[in-house]
Amino acid sequence: MAPVEIRDLSKRFGSVLAVNDLSFDIEAGRVTGFLGPNGAGKSTTLRALLGLIRPSAGTATFGGLRYEELERPSAKVGAVLEDASFHPGRTARNHLRVLAVTGDHPFERVDTVLADVGLTDAANRRVGGFSMGMRQRLGIAAALLGDPEVLILDEPTNGLDPPGIVWMRGLVREQASQGRAVLISSHLLAEVAQSVDDVVVISRGEMRGHGTLEAVLGGDEGLVTIVRAQDNQRLTGALQAAGHSVQRLGESLLVPGVSAEQVGVVAGDAGVYLVALAPQTRSLEQAFLALTGEGAPL
Amino acid sequence: MSALLRAELLKLRTTRTFVALVGVTLALSLLVVVLTAVLSKEFAPGDAQDLFSADFTGLFIMLLGVIGMAGEWRHRTITGTILAAPDRLRLMSAKMLAYAAAGVVLSLIVTVTIMLVGTIILSSRGFDTVAFSDLLDVLWRNLLVAALVGALGVGIGALVRNQVVAIIAVLVLGFVIEPALFGLAPDVARYGPAQGAPAGIQDIEFFGDDGTDTLSPGTATLVMLGWIALFFAAAGVRLRSRDLV
Repeated sequence: MAPVEIRDLSKRFGSVLAVNDLSFDIEAGRVTGFLGPNGAGKSTTLRALLGLIRPSAGTATFGGLRYEELERPSAKVGAVLEDASFHPGRTARNHLRVLAVTGDHPFERVDTVLADVGLTDAANRRVGGFSMGMRQRLGIAAALLGDPEVLILDEPTNGLDPPGIVWMRGLVREQASQGRAVLISSHLLAEVAQSVDDVVVISRGEMRGHGTLEAVLGGDEGLVTIVRAQDNQRLTGALQAAGHSVQRLGESLLVPGVSAEQVGVVAGDAGVYLVALAPQTRSLEQAFLALTGEGAPL
Repeated sequence: MSALLRAELLKLRTTRTFVALVGVTLALSLLVVVLTAVLSKEFAPGDAQDLFSADFTGLFIMLLGVIGMAGEWRHRTITGTILAAPDRLRLMSAKMLAYAAAGVVLSLIVTVTIMLVGTIILSSRGFDTVAFSDLLDVLWRNLLVAALVGALGVGIGALVRNQVVAIIAVLVLGFVIEPALFGLAPDVARYGPAQGAPAGIQDIEFFGDDGTDTLSPGTATLVMLGWIALFFAAAGVRLRSRDLV
């Protein structure tokens, strides 16, 4: 059983379908980038996973249990949400001490995690005087307090300066190397591409791609083939049966990491007539934008 | 629950609001007691007993409860609080218990201080002082009221959520609506959560010379518990059913 399992998750706010039938797993020891443009449904998905909002359908579980069913949630899951906030009049150390008492963690962990995020010198300062970057670090310290198996970071690079972003990349890699499952959401591929193993790409609440970074986005300057068939559905099935990932791109199909010749062979074997076949190269960013429908395909 | 309760008490101790309110409550209560004890020309032990009910803890602990709960939304800490304690009803229960305990501590400090200062002033002026047993009688009533209104404040804060609106609502209820009802409909006013029922517990004579119109302490306590249960239920339904987006 994967540390995090999301199955057929949907969330509707009134007439708006914010998340539509999402299913994916997060694996231990790997960093998974949860990517999509602003408003794609990333935060809604994470909040459903963390029991802050009720899904309209489907489930989101940690080892088979919903977040609110976990006996000591902070020992299982550490989360930093985008709007994480702190009482401005409380010091960083006292903020963590409150969380330590709530989660039944020893007070020694407070100084450990403060050191881990580089806030030892600011431990006794009131949070009201903290910069955005220091608040992010404090949020991460809070998430690490219970030494959790799963780490969820919602847009963690927001407000960080370039050294802070580099620090964050190192931190998530280190956490994964210690065996944690790390889920990191971002609307900017460039900020997470160097640190993720897997990606889940969503747009308008729907799944657009899920797998290793290479498989979903084809790698930087990767080979990609754009193809249109008389029967796109049949060709999609044939390509998938041959082990290739396929993404819809308007009237066409986008097949990352596969040459035009290989696509032609698969189509021929399946007896599908092709209308157009074009080999391309593209950057990760282009692939991401094409996948989310946010920019020119190529 | 005990971890949650300890966490809430730690939260209370680690901001300046609690310390400031203890100071203000003590200063106001002392001001009233000192002025009355110094300026009054006559003083019977019964008057002194009433005087020591001039503990402002009730008002301030109710405000503190409102601030403590509604502040979770004002400072946007509610998400982190619920992530740490996903059972929202247990969280609210722990907060209510914490503010009830804080009310007891605050009232103990204030009541004992005003009793000491008031007794010293009255005895130096040659007035009869209040018997120790009567002082204890005032003390437990003050402590009980402080505990109940502390918990009620949390319930109001959880239901209203907007801190400013909740504070104004408490002040309007305590200083406008209930006092107006004392004159217009005392039978209704004595059930009020801010002044009416607490007056019954403290045996303060609001409605007549002999105090027969106030509720008995037992009934008043039940009425206060009813108010707390009402706010707990209403706020609990709202807290459990709403998404935190």
